[in-house]
Amino acid sequence: MSLLAVDQLDVTYLTRKRPPVQAVRGVSLTIGPGEFVGLVGESGSGKSTLGNATIRLLSRPGEITGGTVSFNGQDITALGEDRLRPMRWRDISTVFQSSMNSLNPVMPIEAQFRDAIQAHSRASNGQVRKRVAELLTMVDIDPSFMRFYPHELSGGMKQRVALALALALEPKFVLLDEPTTGLDVVVQRAILERLRVIQREQEFAVLLISHDLGSVLEFSDRVLVMYAGEIVEEQAAADMLRHPRHPYSRGLLGSYASPTAKTIAITYIPGRPPDLSKPHQGCLFAPRCVDAIPLCRMKAPELLPLGDGLVACHVAKMRAEAGQLPEQQGRSWRTQAAGAVFTKHTVAKDPTGAEDILRFEGVSKLYTRRRGFKTTLVQAVDDVSFVLSKGHVTALVGQSGSGKSTIAKLVTGIERPDSGEISFGDLRVDRLGRRGLRDFRKHIQMVFQDPYSALNPAHTVLSTLMRPLINHKGMSRGQAQSRALELLETVGLTPPERFGQRHPHQLSGGQRQRIVIARALAPEPAIIIADEPISSLDVSIRAEILELLDGLVREQGIAMLYITHDLLSARLLADDIIVLNEGKVVEAGRAEDVIANPQHAYTQLLLRSIPNPFVEETAAD
Amino acid sequence: MSMLQQGETPTVSDALPLDEEGAVEQQTRANRRFRVPGWLGILWENRKSRVGLVMLAIFLIVAVFAPLFSPHDPRSNDFAPNLDPGSGHLLGTTTKGEDIFSQLVYGARTSLIVGVVGGLLATAIALVIGLTAGYLGGTVNEVLTFFINLALVVPILPLIALLSAYAPGQGLWVVILIIGLTGWASGARLKKAQILTLRSRDYITAAVFAGEGLWQVIFREIMPNMISLVVVGFMGSAMGAIGAEAGLAFLGFGNPETISWGTMSYWANNQGALVTGQWAWLLAPGLALSFLIMALTLVNFGVDALGNPQLREE
Ligand SMILES: Nc1ncnc2c1ncn2[C@@H]1O[C@H](COP(=O)(O)OP(=O)(O)OP(=O)(O)O)[C@@H](O)[C@H]1O
Ligand code: SF4
Ligand SMILES: [Mg+2]
Repeated sequence: MSLLAVDQLDVTYLTRKRPPVQAVRGVSLTIGPGEFVGLVGESGSGKSTLGNATIRLLSRPGEITGGTVSFNGQDITALGEDRLRPMRWRDISTVFQSSMNSLNPVMPIEAQFRDAIQAHSRASNGQVRKRVAELLTMVDIDPSFMRFYPHELSGGMKQRVALALALALEPKFVLLDEPTTGLDVVVQRAILERLRVIQREQEFAVLLISHDLGSVLEFSDRVLVMYAGEIVEEQAAADMLRHPRHPYSRGLLGSYASPTAKTIAITYIPGRPPDLSKPHQGCLFAPRCVDAIPLCRMKAPELLPLGDGLVACHVAKMRAEAGQLPEQQGRSWRTQAAGAVFTKHTVAKDPTGAEDILRFEGVSKLYTRRRGFKTTLVQAVDDVSFVLSKGHVTALVGQSGSGKSTIAKLVTGIERPDSGEISFGDLRVDRLGRRGLRDFRKHIQMVFQDPYSALNPAHTVLSTLMRPLINHKGMSRGQAQSRALELLETVGLTPPERFGQRHPHQLSGGQRQRIVIARALAPEPAIIIADEPISSLDVSIRAEILELLDGLVREQGIAMLYITHDLLSARLLADDIIVLNEGKVVEAGRAEDVIANPQHAYTQLLLRSIPNPFVEETAAD
Repeated sequence: MSMLQQGETPTVSDALPLDEEGAVEQQTRANRRFRVPGWLGILWENRKSRVGLVMLAIFLIVAVFAPLFSPHDPRSNDFAPNLDPGSGHLLGTTTKGEDIFSQLVYGARTSLIVGVVGGLLATAIALVIGLTAGYLGGTVNEVLTFFINLALVVPILPLIALLSAYAPGQGLWVVILIIGLTGWASGARLKKAQILTLRSRDYITAAVFAGEGLWQVIFREIMPNMISLVVVGFMGSAMGAIGAEAGLAFLGFGNPETISWGTMSYWANNQGALVTGQWAWLLAPGLALSFLIMALTLVNFGVDALGNPQLREE
């Protein structure tokens, strides 16, 4: 019998201001005891809504408007909160992305466990302490940390504590909603690996929600793919990896590739999910689907058994009926894949031919950090040297805290180094005064990590783009306006007149990031610093932004410093890679050499941490 | 109302009519045509503050068109003294023979002038100090924060009374000035707190890279995102100013020649309205003041929505 059974579930957000949004529509799923199930989809596809609905954690204005949820044979769809409360934590528990921030800041770790454990059992303090030690050890944290307060732990440690807390009462079912998103790649991997081991030992069931299909495929037994509030495909993880049948699943999988391959092609899915407050006809994916046929726009496909899984797609069904098994297509789906493709070949470029733009020589920066009465010195950057050259991308790769952002601040002149030289032609960036800095910014621009915070919500796109043109290029308003429209076209936002009038909230994440890029291009800079420009974007559109950056750098001869913790994207975009660890350069060289032949243990660790569902496959190649 | 669509849970916000180009265009065009300020729209959403806004509008109309609403000149003392309500005078007459209702109508004018001007003054000071402290940070912030905290702990009403007793001249404007100069502290603290959060946004760094100077960053990038907070601060200061003026006048610290609800109560009290049984004279100015304060309080109920950080940024 299944532990959790969801049948024909509908969830609607009823807001006064806007028409109701049907975030989950007619979803059915079951999870057996001890099963590890993954749920993937783009942001906005309804993953969290579905997850929260299955454990009755929906908050207003979300409401279950149809269907049932049963747990352990009991219908909990309409159960009152007083009857649900005893089940929470004991039978069902959760970890969210923000769980690490919801630990009580004024209580030591041990006390938080004690409250939870003693609320549900009659354990003595001594027993509790023993259990806490056990739980912390389980998530790879030394038991001595139980006396610490949350703020004394790093983000990754806090998230582990949140996980241990969720598992404290040995629940039968755990909902994990983006449990590692926002953490460092290395930490992400460590947590998920540990979780999988514990889950096998204790045999609780898991629903792992993530937008990162790569890691979900690696850790789950079975994967559900969600699009626009519906499940469009369900398969065992191994089958999904080898032959995804739904075009959307193929599109999501297309954004992964092995960084070590000679030629890397990653795909993206142009377009965006539909507005769920409007009535629809036919397949909701049709406007973005490369396989779509006329039938798709008329009739919605049903989720039907296909092979060993379930798929909702007319074309996949027809292919299967015609005896065209995906197995026979072999791996070709990856190259003929869904959507647009960004391909990067290993071409031997001549690194000596390019003109040097910026030299960073033997730079060090020491920060003094004061905490209470203790002062600690942090060597944020330690004797780092590199050169940025025209038309080249240099990637700075490293974990969080490795000093990447500090280097960005030094290059742009926001911070001054303690020693070393930073020179832009004849200009010494490390010696610039206030006025000099302002002039220097004509030549150096930034692309930010979070496009939601990088655009002022109060201004239209056009007025945002006109400012640098007026300030740096001395253009009149009229000139600036026509140039701004050209820039919009350069970054692929057409028709530019239409986009120019919009405010940031009327744009998607990918479109916003294009505006941010257009703004950086406005003063025709010699250097662009891109600090994690794709890490806050959905996987389905990352390749699109990488392709845009790649094209611009080559065409306009810009020197780019690409800051990231993601080696795959570094490999895709960069000519050179510099690996940074604790402020020191541990490895540097041509991108393909560094990836193909990592020398330093730290680079190897980073490489292993990339979620890559195709590892086995590439190993077999 | 653009601001409502920002930063909600991703599941909902992605369902915006983004593909429906037409819808967005229409919306943008509509916004341009009507120009209803966003904060007013949000206040109107709330039932309580809608009632408050209507009440406020009535007071405003009465104050602006006072000559039309008052049957007599409020200063004329040609009438028989101590008349009861009715008798040709809606609320009766004072011991000096002035028409009480006319005074009440003109009193609205005084109160609103005090509220608007005093509120504006306090808001402007709060804005300058809050912006400077929050944006520049460092030593400037520490010094200004010291003054803000100092101003916060000083009891305001006695200070105002003291100042107005020694102030040169006795006019209403002196009172307004004093009220404005003393009532900025809490507003300044709120604004500083918000700027500290706004300052760390990437779009501020981006503006610096776009070549904007200090004042451009403050007025172009930060200010537009603080309109709601400024409106809220203004309401609070206006309310404080109106109350303070009335209180001062009632205690006899104001200029007794001004016609305001405070001076009316002062005279009513002074001339023994209680003894002569002229309830209307005694109660009317107090009631009018309570209604005005109530209107502002009701409006402030809707301010919760403005105070929500997700809605605050337009
Ligand atoms: N202003 C500062 N004061 C004190 N310490 C700082 C400051 N800025 C950075 N550091 C410290 O310097 C080290 C490097 O920080 P930096 O932010 O450059 O790392 P990063 O690789 O960019 O991290 P992330 O990927 O999280 O952005 C860290 O130990 C950090 O705590
Ligand atoms: S049903 Fe048609 S449009 Fe929908 S996914 Fe399948 S092929 Fe594409
Ligand atoms: Mg950083």
